[in-house]
Formats: sequence, C-alpha cells, structure tokens
Amino acid sequence: MFDAVVGFLYQFGDASAFLVLCASGLAIIFGMMGVINLAHGEFIMAGAYMTVTVAKLGAPLPLAIACGALFAGFIGILLERLVIRHLYGRPLDTIVATWGISLIASQGTLILLGPSLADISTPLGSVQIGSLSYSVYRFVLMATAAAILAGLYLLFNFTRFGVLARATIQVPDMAEALGVNTRLIYSLTFGIGAALAGATGGLYAPTMTLVPTMGAQFITEAFVTVVTGGGDVFVGTAPAGVILGFIRAAMTTWQGQLAGQIGLLIAVIIVIRVLPRGISGLILRERT
Amino acid sequence: MALLETRKLNKRFGGLQVTADVDFVLEPGELHCLIGPNGAGKSTLFRLILGEYQPTSGQIFYDNSDITQLEPHDRIRRGISVKFQVPGIFKALSVRQNLEIALQHHLEGLSLREEIERHLDFLNLVADAGQPAGNLSHGQKQWLEIGMATSLRPKLLLLDEPTAGMSPEETYATGEMVRALQTEGMTVVAVEHDMNFVRQVASRVTVLHFGRIFAQGSIDEIMADVRVAEIYLGHGHGAERHA
Amino acid sequence: MSRRSLFLRLASRLEGPQTLGRGRRFWIGAAIVLALTAAYPLVTDSYTVGNTVYFFNWVFMALGLCVIWGYGGALSFGQTAFFGIAGYAYGVITLNWGADYGLTLWATLAAVALSAIVAAVLGYFLFFGRIRGVFLGIVTLAVTLVLERFMAQTAGPEWHIGSARLNGFNGMNGMPNLTIPWPGDDGPLVLAPDLPLYYFVLALLVIVYLALRILVNSSFGNVLVAIRENPERATMLGYDVRKYQLAAFVIGSSLAGLSGVLYTSWGQYITPSSMGITAAALPIVWVAVGGRSDLTATLLGTILLIGGFQALTVYGSQYALVAMGVLLVVTVLLAPEGLIMALAFLPGRLFRARARETA
Repeated sequence: MFDAVVGFLYQFGDASAFLVLCASGLAIIFGMMGVINLAHGEFIMAGAYMTVTVAKLGAPLPLAIACGALFAGFIGILLERLVIRHLYGRPLDTIVATWGISLIASQGTLILLGPSLADISTPLGSVQIGSLSYSVYRFVLMATAAAILAGLYLLFNFTRFGVLARATIQVPDMAEALGVNTRLIYSLTFGIGAALAGATGGLYAPTMTLVPTMGAQFITEAFVTVVTGGGDVFVGTAPAGVILGFIRAAMTTWQGQLAGQIGLLIAVIIVIRVLPRGISGLILRERT
Repeated sequence: MALLETRKLNKRFGGLQVTADVDFVLEPGELHCLIGPNGAGKSTLFRLILGEYQPTSGQIFYDNSDITQLEPHDRIRRGISVKFQVPGIFKALSVRQNLEIALQHHLEGLSLREEIERHLDFLNLVADAGQPAGNLSHGQKQWLEIGMATSLRPKLLLLDEPTAGMSPEETYATGEMVRALQTEGMTVVAVEHDMNFVRQVASRVTVLHFGRIFAQGSIDEIMADVRVAEIYLGHGHGAERHA
Repeated sequence: MSRRSLFLRLASRLEGPQTLGRGRRFWIGAAIVLALTAAYPLVTDSYTVGNTVYFFNWVFMALGLCVIWGYGGALSFGQTAFFGIAGYAYGVITLNWGADYGLTLWATLAAVALSAIVAAVLGYFLFFGRIRGVFLGIVTLAVTLVLERFMAQTAGPEWHIGSARLNGFNGMNGMPNLTIPWPGDDGPLVLAPDLPLYYFVLALLVIVYLALRILVNSSFGNVLVAIRENPERATMLGYDVRKYQLAAFVIGSSLAGLSGVLYTSWGQYITPSSMGITAAALPIVWVAVGGRSDLTATLLGTILLIGGFQALTVYGSQYALVAMGVLLVVTVLLAPEGLIMALAFLPGRLFRARARETA
C-alpha cells in the first residue's frame, strides 16, 4: 500500500515536472506573445544535443545544460529575427511556418548528424523508498521545475526587463511611445522561451536516447499544458502542469503509457471546449 | 406598441458595470440618437440588442417578443440590421460581391442581379463595382456598409457612428439618406458624436452616462440641459459609478 | 423549374469569383490537360499508371482541406483522422463480407458516410462551441493523434471487428480492391492499380472538381468566403455562421474519407501512421504551398508536390522532408497565397510593373 502510494506520487511528480518544464518555454512564447511555435520540440532537441556534446567534452552536467539552454536561446533569437517577426498577427501562417522550421531542423539534424547521438547516463543513481527504488535525478528534475517557475516569476515581475516585456507584449504601441525598443524585447522574450526549451532538453538528455526527432515527444504535451493553462504562465501553466500530471499518472498507472497520452489529448479537447481561456482565464476571470 | 424595449438591462464585465438598469423604449418610425461621452456604454448597448453580448440581467423585447435568448443571426432575420463603427465590409471581396452576399438572403437569379445593380447605382459605386471593397475610400466604405445593412429591409436599423471620418458634405448627405430611410418606414437608432448630424435627423435623443440613461428628450431640450454639458466637459457627477 | 434550366444554372456556376480560370481559353486548356492525362497510360508502363493513381488518391483530401481552410478560413488538422476512419471502415466491411455483389462500392459509400457522420459530430462540438482559429487546429490535431495512438495499441487478438483484426501498429491489410460487378463471363471488374482504376479515379476527380467549383461559386460559397473574411459581419447579415462552417467541414472531411478509401483499396492496407503527426502535416503543406484559396491551384499544387516529394524520397525521405519544410517557410514568407497562385499571377504582375515603368 505504502509502495503504491509512493509509486503514484513519484509518477505524479515526475509527470508534472515534465509537463511544467516542457511547457514553460512554450507558455512564454504562446501564452505571452501569442505565437504558435511548432518548432518548440526542436529547440528542446537542440538543447539536448548541445548539452550532451559539451558534457562529453568533460564539462560538468549543470554547465553543459546551461550551454544547451544558451545555444537554444541563441537559435531562438535568430529565428525570431528571420522568420517569426514577419508573422505577428498571422497565427495560422505562424503554425505553417514553424512546422516547416521543425521539419528542416529535425530532418536536417538527421542528415548532418545521423540517426542518433551517443547519450550520457543518468547521474546520481537511485534511492530506496519502501521496497522500490527511484531515480534520484528525477527528484532533482521536480525541484528544478519548481525553481524555474520561481525564477520566471521573479524575472517577469521584479526585474526591469520583465516588467518592460509584459508591458510591450500587452500594449506595444504604448511601450514604443515610451521609448522601449520593442523589437529587442520581442527577440529577447522569444529567446528566453527558446532557452527554457533548450534547458528542458538538457535536463532530460541524460534520461533519453538522443534522436533528431525526439522533439516530437515533447511538443504535444507542451501544447496540451499551455492550452489548458491559458495565457498566464504562473496562474495557468503551473496548475495545468500539476493537474495534467495527475491525469497522466493516473491513466498510466491504470492503463499504461498509451492511455496516459490519450488521456491528455482528450483532456485538452475538453478544456478548449469548456474553458476557452484555460485555467488562468478561470482564475483571473477575464472578459468573456 | 414599442418596436424595441429593454427592461432593466444590465451588463457587467468583471468589476466594471458597463450598462446599468437601462429601460430604453423605441417607438416604430422614430429617428433616435444615442449620445454621451466616450465609455458611456453606447456601443455596448448596441451589442446587447444585437445579441453579441449577453446581458448580466434584464430583458430585451423586439416587436412584442422576448429576444433576450435569441442568437444574433436570428435577430437579424427578424428585421434588425446594423452598421458598425469600423466599416464591417468584406474587404477582400469585390463591391459587387459584398452586395450580393447581403441581397442573396431574400433574392436570387435575375431579380438578385437587378437589385445589385440598383444598389450600386444608388450608392454611386457602379464604376468601382469590380474593385475589392478594401480599395474604396473611407466614406465609400461607410456608404457600402449602410447599403448592405439597409438592403436587408430591416424594421430597425442600428447605426454606430455612421458619419465617423466623413467630411461635412458627406455627413449631410448621410443625414438626408437616413431621413429618407425613415420615410420608407424604417426605425433608426444612431450613436453619434456629431451634433450637426444629430440635429439634422433626430426626433428624440437619449444621453448615456456611465452606462445609465442620463437624460432623454428632443435635441433642443438636451442641448439646453446644463447637466449634459457638464458630463461632456468632465465635471458632471450625474450617475454614481458602481464598482 | 425545368431540368434544362437547372443544368444551365449549375453550369453557370462553374465560373465565379471564388475560382480562378474562366472563359474559353481556360476550359479549352483544361480539356487539353484532361485529354493528355487520359492518354498518359498509353505511353507508360503499368507501374507508373498505378503510381499516378496513388497521386490522384490524395487530391480529394487536399481539395477537402481547400474548402475548409481556403474558402472557410478554418485550419483543420483533422483531415487524416477522417482519412483513417474511412480507410479502416472500408477494411472492416470488406474483410468481413468480401467483394461480391458490388459490396466494395457499398463499403466505399458507407465509409465515406461514416467520415461524414463523425465530422458532423466533431464539427458540431467545434463550431457550435465557438472554437476558432488556433484552438480549432489544436483540437483537430488532438483528435487525429488520439485516433492514431488508440489504433496503434490495438495489436492484440482481442481487438477486432467481426473477422477483421485491427492489428495495432502494423495495421490492417488484405482487403480487396474496389470491384465493380460486371455482367458476363469475365466476372466482376477488379480495380487493381492499373488502367481501369486509373480511369475510375480520374473520372471521380473530374466530377468532384467540377462539383466543388459549382459549390464554391454558389450562394453557399459566397457566404463561406464572407465568413472567412468577416465572420461578425456575416452574422449581422443574418447567416448562421456555425451551420455554414459545419457544412464546409463535413464536405471537406468526407472528401478526406474518400481519399482514405481509395488509398486503402489501392494498396490493400491501412495503418495508424496514416493518422500520425507527419501525415497530418501533409495536406496542410500541399494546400498551403499550392494555393489554398483556389481549387485549381490546390489541385495542381498537390499533384506537383506529391510527385516532387516522391522523386526526392528516392534519395532519402529526410531530404524530401527538409525540402517540404523549406517550401513551407518560403511560401509563408514570400507568397502566402500559395506558390502556384503566385506563379499564376506573376506574368500579370510583371506586365503591370513594366507598363508602369514605360508610362
């Protein structure tokens, strides 16, 4: 009984952490900027690949992950300047364009770097609770998810950049009139979203096989979480991650992996119908 | 018997009361103008009548039936039509097609084509019939939209700032056109800021302030009302604001 | 109304504001293209004929998306869902009851009807729930993926409908080709991927293309594009926007179902990957790059793109996919109305630019 409960809690925490981490970058890009980025999975892949490459050169894992995040962030800024910035206000076109970028990135990586990259092993081993053992690293991931949320909150509410970014995104003309370099803000915000994706990739790199199409595993869950959460990263994505993590864990425990995935997809369909502005819309009670 | 009547109509958005206890009665054949400072809730009242917004409480009666729960397109089919503030035409489609879409509702075949030509002629748009409607001048767009709205032969026509952006000549012509519509039996409610237009057309005027009906009467009565001048100038404390 | 004038009325709608191509030159050109296409099998081998049918099969799905997205303005990722539903339905029916007595044709009708019914239910949920824009895309994508993942885990023997096992990842196979009952000693006409199937599908394509032209140029089509351009104004002209969007969605999704049946009966197999994320992207690519707001542009664009990708896949599917990605980005940035459309208007634009210079 104890084992079952602990086991479920572990699954729950693990699923929630996964959702929060992969959704956070997308939540900034979609939730705050209204940009649909179907290449989000490829930012994750880029971060993972860079992390593994740097780690294999001997760097400690946290540094490697930071490199992965920076690399992804840099690519994000590049992408924003070249493509995304021309498509603000055209959401359907953004979907099509970012899908194209996703194809170029994943298949291009396949062509250039081959079908897989030698991976690195999960650090920190395992710990025994009750009669089952659990990966310590997964607990680290749970803690990291919470830390990242806290960090984002501080960034967007207490730093000059964060406040400017929120203002620019909500009322760009006003911000521009006040002398804010809105183009730079858009680029940087997109870059932060991309960097978060890269960090997610780096964090999960030791637990997965590295293939160019690995992004696909993240993108659906990320979108489901962001859409369920609604526009606000903190009041939306975080609770959404937790709730969906619960659903995921429950379905997986009950019926298996595939059922977990199906459960999530059905959840998003229902949420879009019932809560068009997601959880944050419900909490903030925006205009209907 | 009133054509349109709202009873205790209320609309809140979160903490903001945009329409407050509005009992608005409209007699058939009236030419009524709605005026008031910005943010008074004039456009919101229109959207409530049209069904784009659902009231927080209160009822709307049209032609003796309660339409409060009715979908917007059903209200249109019962004879309400609207011209929005920002030209609501199909910019990428041709002028002719814009009219066709409006008219094909109750016409088809040869009579449809003839009626389209009649409208193009009346609106002075024959030369531009094949152009995308987005290429028209601002005044022409407004006229096209009014043409489309009236082509439905509505009993009640709602005009949201019909003369916005128009020159004095265009404004006067619009006023004459609205008066002509009244003689054809249409009831018209217009939201307006241009007092010359209001004076030209209105039989009655309602002043809205903070979502409430602040004053009603003929244009002369309203213009003479000191309180009305005050709310426009900003030191009026007419209706208490509900938080 | 006499039958003659109904025919004339329909024929007059073959041209209109919603379709490119009008006048004698266009129709003569179209007739020539049709004649060449009909003559094509006489100059190639059986394999190429079968392969061309494979291209044609997909066009129905593309045309369907063109109606939903290009004309109706609703981006649906669900075409492959209906493709799969109809494909599997055809498989289930024909594996259980065989191909005699024209059953494959009834199965086709039933499968497409099933797609239509599911589309009606899903469409009701979407459009009467006022789901629009991005969220419409997300929900339809989610539906497609749910179906794919569900079918992918039906590997065990307990997953069957009648004698047809769903077979999980490996999919269903062995269902019969389309078979037309034929009187006489030769027995029924089995439409294997060869000449008779070629003409059958080509005829279907012509009929569907012409019917869609009439549809989009009719008053229904007018309202549909009005909804795409300004849904609020369309409502304020008294049209129930939800019903029109639902109708377009059902029509477009049924065409996707038709593609599904043709594909399944052509290759005698159907797998869950037909509803996977890459498959779901394909119709979007064809329609976006071809020219989503016009039927003819979509038709031509789809055939060219599928042919092009197949040629590239010879070198490796990853090259084809990279090319696809590049095309998508280039199209959106440089020619959002579609590459084929842009090429069609290019001579006009160049001519006008020249005229302005010399003036």
